Amino acid sequence: MWKEWKSEWMKVRYRKIGLILSAFLGIIILWIVWAVRDAPQEGIWDGYRMSFLQLSLIDTILMPTMIAMLASRLCDAEVKGDMLKLLCTMEQKGRLFDMKLLMGSVYLVVFVAAELGIIMGMSILYGYGRPLEPIQVLYFVIQIYLVSFVIYLFQQVLSFFFENQIIPLAAGLFGSFVGLFAWFFSGNLRKLFIWDFYSLLCFIHYNWDEKTRIMTYYNVPFDTGSLIALLIILALGYTAGKNLFLRKEI
Amino acid sequence: MKYMIETRGLSKRYGEKYSVKDLRLKIRPGCVYGFLGPNGAGKSTTMKMILGLVKPTTGEIQMFGRELGEKNRIAMLRNTGSLIESPSYYGHLNGRENLEIVQTLKGAPPEEIDEVLGIVRLEGQQKKKVKEYSLGMKQRLGLAAALLGRPKLLLLDEPTNGLDPAGIQEIRELISDLPKHYGMTVMVSSHLLSEIDQMATDVGIINKGKLIYQGGLQKLHEQAKSSLHIHILNQGAAIRILEENKESYQIEGEELVFPECGEQRTARLVALLAAHGAQVTRVIEKQRSLEDIFLTLTGKQVSL
Repeated sequence: MWKEWKSEWMKVRYRKIGLILSAFLGIIILWIVWAVRDAPQEGIWDGYRMSFLQLSLIDTILMPTMIAMLASRLCDAEVKGDMLKLLCTMEQKGRLFDMKLLMGSVYLVVFVAAELGIIMGMSILYGYGRPLEPIQVLYFVIQIYLVSFVIYLFQQVLSFFFENQIIPLAAGLFGSFVGLFAWFFSGNLRKLFIWDFYSLLCFIHYNWDEKTRIMTYYNVPFDTGSLIALLIILALGYTAGKNLFLRKEI
Repeated sequence: MKYMIETRGLSKRYGEKYSVKDLRLKIRPGCVYGFLGPNGAGKSTTMKMILGLVKPTTGEIQMFGRELGEKNRIAMLRNTGSLIESPSYYGHLNGRENLEIVQTLKGAPPEEIDEVLGIVRLEGQQKKKVKEYSLGMKQRLGLAAALLGRPKLLLLDEPTNGLDPAGIQEIRELISDLPKHYGMTVMVSSHLLSEIDQMATDVGIINKGKLIYQGGLQKLHEQAKSSLHIHILNQGAAIRILEENKESYQIEGEELVFPECGEQRTARLVALLAAHGAQVTRVIEKQRSLEDIFLTLTGKQVSL
């Protein structure tokens, strides 16, 4: 397994994946800085909750596209260079699928960690008054990481199956729109698409007072029902995606 | 171990059509097995089935004397190198980096990279991005990757595709020398009879998914025996006299054909026909070429 893992890192040289992730992080930093600077004193005092909510929103818009690009960068080289027929004589086809998934998950861990770093950095810079609730860090990691991982799984399958990477990238853009619309709808219809789970698993809500133009944030119970639904989707998606890949003749 | 590769009843069906049917390959250790057939005959599908890239519809494959299955496939293929159809490569990496990936996955010593680069004469181009390589260079890189890890068995599918004439000759010589220098067994496919004739010791001819000949190339050459063609003006008289003397013959237009005709029989036949008024105008000895045999076996025009 070590050989396969090492070879995956050798393959991603010059793919500029770090640059892509950094660019998206840059947009997120700009968004958060704008949101905090634009907020009234009450908002800055409740900075952690504001940041969790703002990040959930911006991630819904940006992550599907970024994940589509990430999956494409990790998988298209095999498809373009007709490498599968050589690789599959040296490693188990299923393991190749798993290694790619693991690679994607490592990048997502780094990305989510960087987002937490942004929150912490902003709290130091702006001096958030209300203390951080540690459980919310866990909720945030589950919300952003898990949903992103399921989306990555979906994008990986697409990237392996289509030589033309426009299709997986278009799926990513579609996901951004669908996810964004989910913030404005309610009901079970929201559980139809994997991108909707960013909003479903969001644990902070807000009230907007038009007269005072003040936004107040409050905690909502973590939606364990949606979490279970997502885990079921992950298990089914993994089984189906891997089987599709295994059945694909080279 | 009697055979390096042995297949029994190997078949692959796509929909209702068989791409490969009931194939019984027998590849001896240390030979260069030329797998010959017209385009679309089933060569690549067969090689992919041997490598486990395509699942056979029916049949068994034995490699190194052991049954090849999904569980032991990778372990058994560790002693195998392959180049199937077009070369495989990572375009964004250079030649050396591509080989480093293969070397890592095969668990081969890093020094072998220089060795195989030297064998395929790519030392000077190893730092160049593979997407900038010509097709011939990519093919050489594919061959270098196949040679990494000093495999006991090499499966090469049309390895000279895209190479220039000098490169083709070089690769052919390299393939012929592999059993002698490295103790490898090579299965090499081609639609070019002349190519197989230059490289192989054993040959299998496949057509429409069926193996129609298998054996030593020498045996195939033996079938290229000469026949005597006698052109006559009075065919009726000639046939009568040949029937009376119980001589076997075939008719091809205005010529009478006598297969495998030695010198004494030639002299006797000419004298007999001339003496009975058959009016012999020409006597020609025709050698049956390998191409003719291929054409007879496959019913298709051979590529030269």
